[in-house]
Order: sequence, then C-alpha cells, then structure tokens
Amino acid sequence: MKWGFLDRAIPDRKLPQNNRFYLHAPSAGQRDPTMVWGTEIDADALHSYLRERNRNGRVVITAAHAVMRATALALVEFPEMNVRLVGRRIWAFRAVNVRLAFAHRRNNDIDVLIVQDANTKSLEQIATEVWQRLLEAGRGEGRRERYLTGMRRIPGFWLRQMFRIYFLLDRHFRLPVVGNLDKARAGAATVNDLSFPGAPPMRWYKPSRFPDPSDSLHLTLGPMDSKVVARGEHFASVNVMPLIVRGDHRLTDAHQVGRFVAAVRNLLNHPERLDAAVPSPTTASASSESSAGVPRDRAVAAHQ
Amino acid sequence: MTPDRHQLEADLLEFVRARGERHAAVTSLTDLIESGLLDSLLLVDLILHIEESCGLRFESDDINPSNFRNMSAIVNLVLGQLSVPRR
Repeated sequence: MKWGFLDRAIPDRKLPQNNRFYLHAPSAGQRDPTMVWGTEIDADALHSYLRERNRNGRVVITAAHAVMRATALALVEFPEMNVRLVGRRIWAFRAVNVRLAFAHRRNNDIDVLIVQDANTKSLEQIATEVWQRLLEAGRGEGRRERYLTGMRRIPGFWLRQMFRIYFLLDRHFRLPVVGNLDKARAGAATVNDLSFPGAPPMRWYKPSRFPDPSDSLHLTLGPMDSKVVARGEHFASVNVMPLIVRGDHRLTDAHQVGRFVAAVRNLLNHPERLDAAVPSPTTASASSESSAGVPRDRAVAAHQ
Repeated sequence: MTPDRHQLEADLLEFVRARGERHAAVTSLTDLIESGLLDSLLLVDLILHIEESCGLRFESDDINPSNFRNMSAIVNLVLGQLSVPRR
C-alpha cells in the first residue's frame, strides 16, 4: 500500500481565484476546464541527438523516452503542475512519475506504463524500463497482465458497476495505491508518442481525457513534418514535430501551461540538457518533498 | 537445431519488408536505426517474432543499438543466443 500524495492537500484559499471558478462551479454551469496548447519542436535537433546516442549507447533510445525525461524535468521545474484532483481538493504527488501510453501488441490494445521517479533516472534507465514493460506486455507476462486479462473477462454491465464504484471512491477519497492497475495512475503526466512511421502530418490533435482524475497533463508528440522558414534573406527547410499538451483549468491556467510547455520544448530542442545530472535517490527523495510535489509558492501553506 | 543463417535472415527480412512501403527496400545492411525504420512498434514486434519462432527470450539489456543496427547484426544476435546452451 502506498500513498501517492503529500500529506496535505493544497489549501483552497491558496488557489488562484480563476482556477477556483472552474473548481467550484456547478456542472450546470457547463464548465470546460480543458486547455490544449500546441507547439512544435526542432525534430532535426532531437533526431540528431538520438542518432548520436544510439551510435554507441547501451540501449535503444527513442523520442518517447526523451519526452518522458523532458516531462519529468519540467515537472521538477514546475512542481505546481504535478498535481491532481480528489473531489474538489488539489493534491500534489509525492514523486515525479511519468506515464507512457503504448501499443499493447499482444492484445492489439493501448495500455499505460509508469516510470516512477523519472526525474532521478537517466534516459538509458527510462528506456530500459520501458522496453522491459513492452516486452512483458507483448508476452502476456507480469502481474499487470494478469489483472488486465481478468478485467477483459468481465461482462460490460459488471465492468461499468466496478468503474462506478472505483472512480466514485477515487474522485472523492485520497486512496492509497494498492494494486497493479492503480499503480499506473500514480502520476500527473501521460506521454503519448504518435510519431510512428507513416503517420499523417498532425495539424491539430486534442488528447482525450481518460476517465481518471490522475490524468492532469497529457503530452502528445506528433510525426515529423517539414516546413519552410525564413532565415534572414534566405529560406530553409526544417523538420519539426508537433507537441500538443492538454492541461486542466481547475489545476492550472494557460499562462502556467505555456511556461510548462516552453520548458519541455526547450529541453527537446536542446536534448543534451536531458543529460542533466541525475540526482542520487537520497537527494531525490529529500528534494521531492520540497519541490517535485509541492508548489513553490504554496510550499509553506501545504505544510502548515 | 540451429537454423541456417540465410534462412533466418530471409525470414526476418520478409518480416520487416512486410511492414509497408517504406520498409520494402530493406536489405541485410540497411541501417535500421539511423534510417528511422526501426521504430518501437517494429522493434517489439520483431523481438516477439524472433522469440516465438526461435524459442528465445530477450531481456531489455539486449535492446542495444549494436544488436539491432541492421539485419545482419540481428541475425548475429539470434545465432549467438541460440548457440548458448540452455538449461
């Protein structure tokens, strides 16, 4: 059993008033807290970096691993984004855990894996964990696969009743992480890599919202596309990849989302910064209490 | 019985080429990683295909760029694993 949040919720009086409108407005007000910010990253820089790393590396590293690491580092820089709703209270996650949506090859399905303490892990460590999980899923091995196999057998009617009870409890109570399935929900951010070969150009994309209040932030990387840009008096063809980020106005605002997206974008445009020193586990656990899960300007309030 | 190298290579090339138009011209020396042809989906599918057809088991440590650089390297990896006595 594991408690994923810091000990106290962020006091309501400390929340920005604009966010409180979204948080406390009745459903009849037809509020829509979803915000989507789309931008582009320098695909040439990222792919050049990945090619270099994959020339002599110990494990194959992909763009998805880079986005996961960038997300983790950005969540350390903006810990106020590493939160989720429980009822109408906002709780900060204890650790910087990042999820990845992946194609479950065995079941022709989509599943989610989670890399815990992603801010303390190098790109190689993240990649190794991700490959391990992908292979387990493909083979149908591991505890999570047994749970998922069991769930697939449940008739739709009973599945709905289970979801009703489970998500009712999850929405209103600060639940511990007890099972392999809800372990994957112990993080605020989900990464989705849609830059697969053959994908059409992504001009726009709205990440869906999984019926899971943990899904506070969603980052989608789209396929590479070329565009012509003006550089002084000349034109040049550059390769870019769209980066689409979904946020929740009950938890944050557009300005904050923009700053977070800028941080992720900056890291992906200068991917050598992804190799920032990986703190030791003792350093990471000490800092996670003060920065990763607690908003900087609310740190004092959260611990009072 | 250890499969014939040429047979194994032909099988794996066929598997990769069947992926689509972009993969149709893959040869045994095509750099799969530099060219971007070996994405995560294909890599996992390829590993699972090899595991199933050759009775092997790969770990995440095996997913090394040098092992999957090109088809020739992949075949070397498979034959190397097959030559290791199993309990």
